[in-house]
Amino acid sequence: MNWILTKIVSRSPIIKVNYRIVFPIIILCILSLILLNSTSTESIFIESTFSRQLLWLAMGVFVFIGSQFLRIQFFNEYAYHFYVILIIGILGTYFMPIKGGSQRWLFFGPISIQPSEMGKVLIVFVLAKLLSDQRENFNHLRILLITILLAGIPALMVFNQPDLGTAIIYLAITYPMLYWAGIRPYYLFIVVAPAISVLAAFNIIAFYLWMLLLIVLFIYSQPKVFEGVILFVLNVGCGLLTPYIWSNILYEHQRNRILTFLDPLRDPQGAGYQIIQSMTAIGSGGFWGAGLGHGTQTHLRYLPVRDTDFIISVSGEELGLFSIILILSSYIFFIYWMLVYAEKIRNNFSSLVMIGFVSILFVHLLVNMGMTVGLFPVTGLPAPFISYGGSFLLTCILMIGLINNIINNEI
Amino acid sequence: MISGAGLKLGKRRKVLFSISFALIVGLASRFYSIQIINYDSYLNKSAKNSVRKIIKTAPRGIIYDRNLIPIVDNRPTYSLSLVPYDVTEEFNYSLFEKITNLPELAIKSKIESAKKRFSKFKPFSLKRHVDFKERSKIEENKLEFPGVNFSEFPARTYPNEARLTHVLGYLRTVTDEALRKADSELNYQYGDVFGFSGLERIYEKKLRGNDGVEFRLVDIYGIDHGKYVTDREYDIEMGKPLILSIDSRLQIKAESLLLDKKGSVICMNPQNGEVLAFVSSPDYDLKSFIGPIPNKLWDEWNQNSEKPLMNRGIQGTYPPGSIIKLISAGYALDNNIIDANWSVICDGAYSYGDRMFHCWNIAGHGHVDMMQSIKYSCNIFYYQLIQKIGFQNWSNIVSEFGFGKKTGIDIPGEKRGIVPNKKYMNDKYTSRGWGKGSLLNFVIGQGDMLVTPQQVIQIMNLISTSGNSFEPHFIKGVHSNPLNVSLKNSTWEFLKNATSIVVNDDDGTGKNAKSIFGKVAGKTGTAQNPHGEDHSWFSGYITLPNNKIMSLAVIIENGGKGSKAGASTAGELFDEFAKLNK
Repeated sequence: MNWILTKIVSRSPIIKVNYRIVFPIIILCILSLILLNSTSTESIFIESTFSRQLLWLAMGVFVFIGSQFLRIQFFNEYAYHFYVILIIGILGTYFMPIKGGSQRWLFFGPISIQPSEMGKVLIVFVLAKLLSDQRENFNHLRILLITILLAGIPALMVFNQPDLGTAIIYLAITYPMLYWAGIRPYYLFIVVAPAISVLAAFNIIAFYLWMLLLIVLFIYSQPKVFEGVILFVLNVGCGLLTPYIWSNILYEHQRNRILTFLDPLRDPQGAGYQIIQSMTAIGSGGFWGAGLGHGTQTHLRYLPVRDTDFIISVSGEELGLFSIILILSSYIFFIYWMLVYAEKIRNNFSSLVMIGFVSILFVHLLVNMGMTVGLFPVTGLPAPFISYGGSFLLTCILMIGLINNIINNEI
Repeated sequence: MISGAGLKLGKRRKVLFSISFALIVGLASRFYSIQIINYDSYLNKSAKNSVRKIIKTAPRGIIYDRNLIPIVDNRPTYSLSLVPYDVTEEFNYSLFEKITNLPELAIKSKIESAKKRFSKFKPFSLKRHVDFKERSKIEENKLEFPGVNFSEFPARTYPNEARLTHVLGYLRTVTDEALRKADSELNYQYGDVFGFSGLERIYEKKLRGNDGVEFRLVDIYGIDHGKYVTDREYDIEMGKPLILSIDSRLQIKAESLLLDKKGSVICMNPQNGEVLAFVSSPDYDLKSFIGPIPNKLWDEWNQNSEKPLMNRGIQGTYPPGSIIKLISAGYALDNNIIDANWSVICDGAYSYGDRMFHCWNIAGHGHVDMMQSIKYSCNIFYYQLIQKIGFQNWSNIVSEFGFGKKTGIDIPGEKRGIVPNKKYMNDKYTSRGWGKGSLLNFVIGQGDMLVTPQQVIQIMNLISTSGNSFEPHFIKGVHSNPLNVSLKNSTWEFLKNATSIVVNDDDGTGKNAKSIFGKVAGKTGTAQNPHGEDHSWFSGYITLPNNKIMSLAVIIENGGKGSKAGASTAGELFDEFAKLNK
């Protein structure tokens, strides 16, 4: 028992709050409380989203403090164990009842756990371990494929739950982490190249230009001839197959579903409905907003899931562009210092964890905010620290706690 | 950190930061474009979403009689609606059908389909113009009808015993574009109620109030969230009241006298043109429907052979009978065509050309001068008098008394009647198709001449005021156009005397119209009716000791001689007027 504790708990942690990291987070949390106070209509205070969020934040303080005592290297040492537990956990959800149209939860009596939520953190650990274990002159392609595999397997599994948002997060964090670990950008490029080939295939001129660009890039990057040819053929294949699959294999309704997913506004009564209402809310806010409690879109329920997915729309409507700028400024401030600290940290694992965490938070924000203004499809990703919701908030605070811990103890 | 083939760590940081910064700026510019550049259009969209314009129907003006007793008032009627979401399994459709007559199956299917839509929280209207009784029945069983709602709007109610049907008129609903645009000043909307006949129509601009507009916040389910404060809102402005010249007590008496009879009674103050009572019988019951008149009911009345929709006072055209003789007499005197002593011998018949013309008294009146000709209503006297007057002069003077043209009364639909002249006769019968004999008919008020009771009363208005009366109107205190006929004072005095004798002499034709309360004058008439019993006319006036004057015209269809039904009806009204104006 004692042995386990020494593994997990740091002997002599330095405990102090790094305000460069925590300050922007506090701003976001306060904004969240202000917005939830505005949207809370429950007559009983205890039942309101505001008071519950307050409760979660109080618990978050304990999570933050608790995380200061953790030994970061413990997660390095046992990253693969965690990974296996994660896979088993996600597998377990397949045997659980469907709730709200998806199977994301493990139910233990009254307690439900969403493994994919903690998975976001755990995948950062496993990738950080994989990448920090590499020596100089590692095989870039091999590492690239292993990384994509490690993130891709759980991503596919949660995508199947279905939980597109989380799958996006799993995959999205691989890029910054790979880049931070020093993989050649060329390899990052070839991963997205087939996807671009697919898109380019819808226009013959775009496709030719894209192929030309690929050839130039391949020649410029000078990969092994065999590798280059394989990649080129793969891309051409993707491009050529796409129109065939699109018109011969997919059914009309499937094509429509894809188009609607990419551009929800083409279906204003269905998929686009929420986004139109959200944009209406945000647009009507102007610079200073309608004032707290005065947003008609918010308070007359034209705005869907306003406490979670569309809390940004509430902010846009009631507090205007001003609040949006505040949110984005807080994030860019946070990102700036995260990158600065990540650079300073001697320990590769910890440095990569920092990059992974900041990526998780930033991708959440981008996808969520992009969704509210019609730039991204509705995926159900909340805005970190702003959206209402307990387990996600605690996950995010845990990440901040660990970041604070790393900065204090590993620089 | 691994250096690899990639960039140095510091550079990587700058690249990552630049990408992040670019993404943030991209996102911010999207928000900027929505919130600042397209602010107006989104604000508009947002308002369209949630602000509903509610029209609050303004009550029409109240109509009072001359003593400020309300004749037409407003009461709330109810619109019955259902909120589909609240309609549960327990809803008792069969009882609902029993009370409202709304078919069970239709309502059920409507609710089932509405429940599946977003509008399930929005009340939908089932029935308009539900009265208080029906509402009470539903309210009593409220637990059986979850989801039932009532909203209120004003409708006409008739609290007075006086019906005044044809004068008041009824309302209709604006249903087509032509009606809606009929008067830009009134700014009708579909579904608005407007005065379609009677005073309701003529005084529409006064009676119609200004509907209030209120803006309310409505959530996505249509649930009301209170007022939306804006300067575009305005309050209900009730229609202005109308104070009629009608005396409802006299009106009630007049209506009771015509009950179950066909005909018309008009009572006026000749000194100012005010109409004190106005009856056309049979009428229809304004109380038999709520709100605008239902088309079915209207059609039914329209097809009724008794013609209840016809306002006999201004639309019923009858031969004037002997009343019209007064005008010839006055004219002849005034122009010295004869003097008051000129007389004829009446032996009950008069031969003109190849035709025999009769007096109503087959035995004959014997020696008849002008005064007696009026008192006994002798036809023979006038057969001879008219030959001295001539067709054209007769037509002119009759027209001058207001016949053959509208009296200008302030209710719509008035008929002109017919005053024959040479042109009229030539047009109708060709110049060879009629002879001077027709004139002998006209002078005693038979034949082609047609008049309305409203025109007939003007003879008495003029006589009682020595030619200085006013056009008829229903509004108290307004001055209508003067109605003047200039005859010599001596002529008016003669006519006053003559009409007085008709009533007050024991053997006068109008003795049934006598009143112990005042001095009555008048003239009877009998309008020949080829389809049945003759119509009974009486027109006259009473002068009370306090110098108040009431003129009157009565026609009782199929009432026989004017000396009977017409005169006795008049007598009762003179008594009533006297009692009311002591």
